[in-house]
Amino acid sequence: METNAARENQDLGVTAAPHHYPYVVEDGPEGDRVGRFLEAFAAVLEFTDYKPLLASYCTSSAKCNRCAVSCPVFLTTGSPRDIPCYRTNILLEIYKRYFTIGGWMSSRFGNSFELTEAVIDDIADTFYRCTACRRCTQECPMGVDHGLITRLGRYVLSLIGIVPKALRVSVREQLEGETHNTSKVPKKALVHTLEFLSEEMEDLLGVELEFPVDKPDREFVFFCAVSDYLMEPETLMGNAAVLHAAGDWDRWTIGTGNYDGINYGLFYSDWHLESIIKQLTAEVTRLNGKQLLIGECGHASRSARQFVPVFGGADTYPVVNFMEYTLDCLRKGKIELDPDIVTERVTYHDPCNISRSGWIVEQPREILRAFVKDFVDMTPRGTHNYCCGGGGGLVSVDEIHDFRMEVGGRVKAEQIRATGADIVIAPCANCKKQLKELVEHYELPCRVMGLHDLILKAIVIPGAKTPRERQEEAELLAM
Amino acid sequence: MEKMIELARGPFFAFSIGVMLLGLLRLVFLQVYGLARGKGGRLRNAPWRKILGEAATWAFPFPHFIKGTRLFSSASFIFHIGVIVVPLLLDDHVVLWERLLGANLPSIGRGVADVLTLTTLVCLLALLAFRMFSARHRAVSQPMDYWLLVLIILPFGSGFMAAHPAWNPFSWNVVMLTHLLSAEFLFLLVPTTKLAHVVLFAFDRISEIHWQLRPGAGARIAEALFGSGAKV
Repeated sequence: METNAARENQDLGVTAAPHHYPYVVEDGPEGDRVGRFLEAFAAVLEFTDYKPLLASYCTSSAKCNRCAVSCPVFLTTGSPRDIPCYRTNILLEIYKRYFTIGGWMSSRFGNSFELTEAVIDDIADTFYRCTACRRCTQECPMGVDHGLITRLGRYVLSLIGIVPKALRVSVREQLEGETHNTSKVPKKALVHTLEFLSEEMEDLLGVELEFPVDKPDREFVFFCAVSDYLMEPETLMGNAAVLHAAGDWDRWTIGTGNYDGINYGLFYSDWHLESIIKQLTAEVTRLNGKQLLIGECGHASRSARQFVPVFGGADTYPVVNFMEYTLDCLRKGKIELDPDIVTERVTYHDPCNISRSGWIVEQPREILRAFVKDFVDMTPRGTHNYCCGGGGGLVSVDEIHDFRMEVGGRVKAEQIRATGADIVIAPCANCKKQLKELVEHYELPCRVMGLHDLILKAIVIPGAKTPRERQEEAELLAM
Repeated sequence: MEKMIELARGPFFAFSIGVMLLGLLRLVFLQVYGLARGKGGRLRNAPWRKILGEAATWAFPFPHFIKGTRLFSSASFIFHIGVIVVPLLLDDHVVLWERLLGANLPSIGRGVADVLTLTTLVCLLALLAFRMFSARHRAVSQPMDYWLLVLIILPFGSGFMAAHPAWNPFSWNVVMLTHLLSAEFLFLLVPTTKLAHVVLFAFDRISEIHWQLRPGAGARIAEALFGSGAKV
């Protein structure tokens, strides 16, 4: 098989320039990348369980192209290299050619596929044009999981040093740095932020609350995307307001040993995925907590939910997403939301990592319908939603900002515009960042916020300011 | 010629079916063995109900008729009905199965078989046209994707002509021999081509199981490639 990059270069009569990546790569590989790629792939096949899957996909992939029309990237570009099946096939061809007898025998006849430097360049580019949203998998009659293959391709690339620097630097700080979190927030800064949030909540709600830090034996140990402590105070205050109103203030804690739910390992490395999960479970064990309570973040929720049971060993704990907790409180009558505060039109964006599997689809909608007068859904929605365009870690890579805006997020922007919504709820740190940029790029007439930002406006706190009083205060301040 | 036809109906048929079944059995064994050895107890963590539910939606795939692929998918779905039903349940085939396996399958009427055969042929030609004339389909198609369609057209086309002498410009013996040998050639190809999805379909669908990654594997890979104490 000949890749697009190779073909284009041949057409131009030039050899593909090696070491070209669409993102910044720190200490990229020099010399024989082909040999190193195959060595890394061999090691992955040796120590993991991907072989049966690859063997099955190699033999039976139907190449029906249904994945193409379900991929928001292909729908925008129409380019063959953005067909999920095409991308998957590159890795399958490498597997077949170099790791199966049939592939070796085929290579003895005619001009068969060869892994070249140009193919490596193509993989490094193509595998980071996928947002790993896994929408295509739903429409594949065979169920070929292109998201899993994309991740595997990225994993092998990362083992030869090809990985966006933005992801690598974050993971390095999380696993080897002093702060153990992706945003390099020191423990002292976390404590100061929590004190600031306490003061803000006192001003806003009229209640005195001290955030629980390193409290042992609590039911919930809270992890959010650590960037929320810096950039999304209203989401965190919304979380805190629910815990307080529900009478669960003494049932949760934030640990200072580890307070970052972000796990970029989910996007490109089994090694890092496992190490980060172990940091989370170690913190819960240290505090003798009972459950992990994950804030508004899609990939943090999915990685914890899916991989704490896999990698936790003896330290396995239940994982609860904050929206599940809030809905439980609402259903039990532990919290009350004023239905007269939010009058704007609101829509909800499903983060792929929690909705694609069907895990969290109706819960946030049930919460929103309880207090939002004008809620509209996007089409399609839920398990069939479109990715925001920043999934799979792409949102953290600034160098591909234009791709995220013009290609990855175009379909989502059109979807949002069609709803006519004033507010887009996106309960995910990554989706929120991407959608805020999309709103600015496409000049969409709406705001993007987390679910608990909106809840913070409408939640009734017994013995404190009413939502109406808070709203009037905010309007006065805005004047 | 009659002797050749008899050979094709008897030992060749038995041989091709035997090779196909053994080949498919091998694939199933390798998958089950690979999963059991690799995943072990982690198989329990897989969302089995969801996997089975999703697989079931493809038996009646109306929710999957999405914009941009409706014609191709319809042709593919209808073609699958004919390609399963006619070889198994046409009355002439039922006799063969009974002779080979002792299985007593119910047979469909000649009229139903004719309709299914013709719709299958139309669908096959449509699928071939998509692969030839749509750039999007060409981009992911490999030689075997075309050859298999042609190879399936052969037994269906020749079978129809053999059953309808009025439509057959060739000698009946030649057409029947073509029918038998082309079908048997396809049986031989099943385990090594994408036709193997007849059994691998079940294993492709269980990617959720493959997300149950092997604990410790990442660290072992890093150690193998970079030595102990590897850094991010």
